[in-house]
Amino acid sequence: MDYIIEMLHITKQFPGIIANDDVTLQLRRGEIHALLGENGAGKSTLMSVLFGLYQPEKGTIFKNGQPVKIDDPNDANALGIGMVHQHFKLVHNFTVLENIILGVETTKRGFLKMDQARKKVVELSERYNLKVDPDARVSDITVGMQQRVEILKMLYRENEVLIFDEPTAVLTPQEIEELMKIMKELTREGKSILFITHKLNEIKQVADRCTVLRKGRCIGTVDVAGVSKEEMSEMMVGRKVNFIVEKSQAHPGEPALEVKGLTVNSSHGKKLVNNVSFTVHKGEIVCIAGIDGNGQSELVYALAGMLPADGGTVRLNGKDVTHASIRSRNDMGMSHIPEDRHKDGLILDYSLGENLVLKRYYKPQFQKGGFLKFKEVGRYADKLIERYDIRSGQGAATIARSMSGGNQQKAIIAREVDLNPELLLAVQPTRGLDVGAIEYIHKQLIAQRDAGKAVLLVSLELDEVMNVSDRILVIYEGEIVADLDPKAITIQELGLYMAGSQRRQAQ
Amino acid sequence: MSTFYFLVQQTMPFAIPLLIVALGGMFSERSGVTNIALDGIMIMGAFASILFINKMQDHMSGQLLLILAILVAVAAGMLFSLLHAYAAINMKSDQVISGTALNMFAPAFAIYVARMIQENGVQQIQFTNTFLIKEVPVLSNIPVIGDMFFKNAYITTYLGFAILIVSIIVLYKTRFGLRLRSCGEHPQAADSVGINVYRMRYCGVLISGGLAGLGGLVFVVPTSTNFNATVAGYGFLALAVLIFGQWKPLRVLVAAFFFGFMKTIAATYSGVPFLQDLPIPSDIYKMIPYIATLIVLAFTSKNSQAPKACGVPYDKGSR
Amino acid sequence: MSKFRRFLESRGFINAASSILAIVVGLLVGLVILLVSNPSEAFRGLWVILQGGFGGGAKGVGQVLYFATPIIMTGLSVGFAFKTGLFNIGTPGQFIVGAFAAIYIGVKWTFLPGALHWIVALLGATVAGGLWALIPGIFKAFFNVNEVISSIMMNYIGMYGVNYLVKKNIYDSLKALSQNVAPTAVLPRAGLDKIFYNMTGANNVHDASTVNCGILIAIAMAIVVYIILNKTTFGYELKACGYNRHASRYAGINEKRNIVLSMVISGMLAGLGGGLLYLSGANGRRIKVVDVLAAEGFNGIPVALLGLSNPLGIIFSGLFISYITQGGNYLQRLDFVPEIIDIIIAAIIYCSALALIFKNLVVRLVGGKKKEAEDIAAEAGRAGMSGKGLLPPEETPETPEKELAADQEAETGKEE
Repeated sequence: MDYIIEMLHITKQFPGIIANDDVTLQLRRGEIHALLGENGAGKSTLMSVLFGLYQPEKGTIFKNGQPVKIDDPNDANALGIGMVHQHFKLVHNFTVLENIILGVETTKRGFLKMDQARKKVVELSERYNLKVDPDARVSDITVGMQQRVEILKMLYRENEVLIFDEPTAVLTPQEIEELMKIMKELTREGKSILFITHKLNEIKQVADRCTVLRKGRCIGTVDVAGVSKEEMSEMMVGRKVNFIVEKSQAHPGEPALEVKGLTVNSSHGKKLVNNVSFTVHKGEIVCIAGIDGNGQSELVYALAGMLPADGGTVRLNGKDVTHASIRSRNDMGMSHIPEDRHKDGLILDYSLGENLVLKRYYKPQFQKGGFLKFKEVGRYADKLIERYDIRSGQGAATIARSMSGGNQQKAIIAREVDLNPELLLAVQPTRGLDVGAIEYIHKQLIAQRDAGKAVLLVSLELDEVMNVSDRILVIYEGEIVADLDPKAITIQELGLYMAGSQRRQAQ
Repeated sequence: MSTFYFLVQQTMPFAIPLLIVALGGMFSERSGVTNIALDGIMIMGAFASILFINKMQDHMSGQLLLILAILVAVAAGMLFSLLHAYAAINMKSDQVISGTALNMFAPAFAIYVARMIQENGVQQIQFTNTFLIKEVPVLSNIPVIGDMFFKNAYITTYLGFAILIVSIIVLYKTRFGLRLRSCGEHPQAADSVGINVYRMRYCGVLISGGLAGLGGLVFVVPTSTNFNATVAGYGFLALAVLIFGQWKPLRVLVAAFFFGFMKTIAATYSGVPFLQDLPIPSDIYKMIPYIATLIVLAFTSKNSQAPKACGVPYDKGSR
Repeated sequence: MSKFRRFLESRGFINAASSILAIVVGLLVGLVILLVSNPSEAFRGLWVILQGGFGGGAKGVGQVLYFATPIIMTGLSVGFAFKTGLFNIGTPGQFIVGAFAAIYIGVKWTFLPGALHWIVALLGATVAGGLWALIPGIFKAFFNVNEVISSIMMNYIGMYGVNYLVKKNIYDSLKALSQNVAPTAVLPRAGLDKIFYNMTGANNVHDASTVNCGILIAIAMAIVVYIILNKTTFGYELKACGYNRHASRYAGINEKRNIVLSMVISGMLAGLGGGLLYLSGANGRRIKVVDVLAAEGFNGIPVALLGLSNPLGIIFSGLFISYITQGGNYLQRLDFVPEIIDIIIAAIIYCSALALIFKNLVVRLVGGKKKEAEDIAAEAGRAGMSGKGLLPPEETPETPEKELAADQEAETGKEE
């Protein structure tokens, strides 16, 4: 067998846990090999070992049959291994060109010589059809272009083994198609690709073989063509997974949220949210679908009161909240599961209990005359922990920082749902979580809807959008360009709307 | 007109040390390490170099002595800053704490050693200033510029400007500068392309140490005849200049001279005919640079952007 | 896990133990310097330092309390600001402004009856300090001006301003000092001079310490600050803003208001410190009209750091630093330079920065898990202190390894 890379019996430990436990992975020359597993299964760790970011405690790596030592990314690079990371490693205020050459700059006596580099970058960009603007600042370009810059980084270094870590998280279906085409083109040119993902569709589309990891162990390597999605999913999770979200018919009632002409401007005057109008009724789940960066974050922030609205109105149960304070919106029945659980959703240095009363600490239930009633807080926290199955080391006293992402998210959801809101704003509530947690959260959202509450969901996961929502609003460049019934369209069509190629108002 | 030249000449001793130290702080913070120990490092640099002058001035004088003293100051500053570098980079400590420790250590150490070494346990270290250049040959005859920059000057003034130019070139035109900046903005990205973030940050801190040490000497020489274990809080002012200058060399230059000029007015207003007649007490004049800085800051800080990863210890394990 | 084991592994103990370890190392550094300077007297010198205030008898102990008072106040000021996410380096300015207000009232407002006079003077000091910190607070909240620089500016403006106002209003030009305050404005002794005194001389004179009720006020303030921070909703909000501005905003907390309030309270504490120091002695202390920033202001920083920004810890660290400073004064009898104490304190602070080593050491001695030590050290770095004043720290990204670890911990937690 012509293996270009072999990782044999790799064990990588961190204090207290074994991230990779005797994992073996073999990459054939010219193949696209998928690495499948849930969040936390050890896929990123394994690839970080290959890329020299970590050193394994046990095991060896072979390239072209020769054992090699990869102590840092320079070694990996010298062996022709390159990696596109899940969280892009680009310096935000450098240009595209500077980012590509960083670490392998052409210099003359220490001074930067950019002309040769620029020529090579332009050449590569044309050859592989990776459109970039070499002089644009990274902070100004789209996420799609940023990813192309990461790919160019690898090609510039003439890497032969390309590792992609969850590359499609931020792309539209069309861009995903393009990426798949690029990956196939790269293998035709002789590159070999390792491709980390938890998305079965993509594996089926483009991978030749797939290695499945679960909780640090290697479950097996399969030929993608000969195995079904259900089988792969079962290998990944360890049990049968229900793909279809079970839910009954929606019975939308009165309008809970009415948005008319909402506009949010950026500091440069650009319209981030442009004259948006829509309604969310009680008892329905409306999902705002769109590529990251098209205004959905700002839209939700404006609804929650965290960004000022520059125009238009927002009515919650008939009351005008357009310029109301964040706290009064909370008190009037708006709950918000934020996009960034660490930045907005939790105070990581506070305990779980203190976080659970984050929106209620000032209510008479928890304070008297300005003094907190700690016993009450503890009691309430224990109740929520029990009811929502939040796992933590020391119960309500656990410091939030030490909880796992899944449980942190459960804590946020517990807090927001227990406020018994009229309107629940949920932004990417399942991001970065494992299948079990995802199922649980979907159940919670549907339970809210069945209890007659209104749910506004923002999601980038197209499966989630299609399965969970009753109605889809597509946002593109700050405008709502379509109002769709998930039962009546396909993912491809949805993708077209998201890319701005089509528009459709509600029938 | 002569008043104006006088003012410019007098601004140099105030502005140049600020410029040098602020540029040093820039290198440290651009690499990702907050350095509030600039004041302490200035004291150490001044102490070592002034002591050196004090001991050697019987055997040497003039520019040669000053040049050697400069080398001593830079070396002392770099050595002292190693403590901060070690704590901040290897120990991943809180950079404010280790900076504060250095600030406390320096004056105490300077006083202690001075009293131990000098006769009669005297605290101040005296020195004779043989370094003033009354007129630079040829260049001082240039109209206007000659009067401003080439009369009643020190070589440290020119050194300061040279450092500025070198800083701009190094920071933006060299590989080292590019890599240094990447460590301060996104150390994970730098690490992932094989740059040794720890080493880059050491460089940043050591450069700031050397320049701050130099700044201490440059501060003391033109303005007094002895060193008394203090630099009048100039290290903190340099920090203000750095933030004021948004971590960019040319803006730092403007900020340093803005502040230096204000301070000059405060110190020399009695020599300026127009100002002498105004009934403003001297204490109020002394406040002017600080009030002016506050006002400017209020208007310019809205979009203040420090290097993104500055002050956050880099840990390879967290990615 | 036995209760004792749990105590040993608790954050509180590990933090305190590593502080103590830092102190020990600092003292060792001092010993080294003593040895280098004068080997024969070195150990005696160390003993003098360790004896601290006791080296001066009961009066010496009283002096420890007396000098601890202002730095406990400035320590509280800095520590409170740290806890709420701000770096108040403006304590020298707030301190001297407070001192001026107190002395001014002490000199000029003699129409006030005895018991009220000093209380009003202290209130004046408190208000003045608070007002002085208002500007950096507003500038930070509304103009995004770094509070470190604005505070530094206010330090100098305060210093020059007070010099000017003293010269104009309450000047003793012969001595370049402010005037004496009226006796009714001086802080009452509260009987402490009857406790802390030495009998000296042939006539058995009471040589009493200058300590007064100021130390009692300072300790009371520490307790008040502790209660505010840990027991009230106000403290909950302030700490939330300090730990995470964004999440506080998300929760509906008015972070602009809280930033301003935090600075003001911090300034009030420092101002009160100025009042407490300058209204003591027989006729009050007198402000020296010099261009020097109040050292008591800056000394609040090491007190706060050593006390880990915990009000109760600050009482101890303030007392400790005053204690060895007194010892340092007595060192002069052995021909040592008292600045050694400052060097020792600097070394202690430096060691407390190396928290990671110390905490690992303590944890290992106690037999706990290494990861816990890292968590605790990381917390100290984040909890209101790391790089504060110059940039808020970024949150650490989630890593898969951390996920598995946290899950494991959760599982064991559930079993217990």
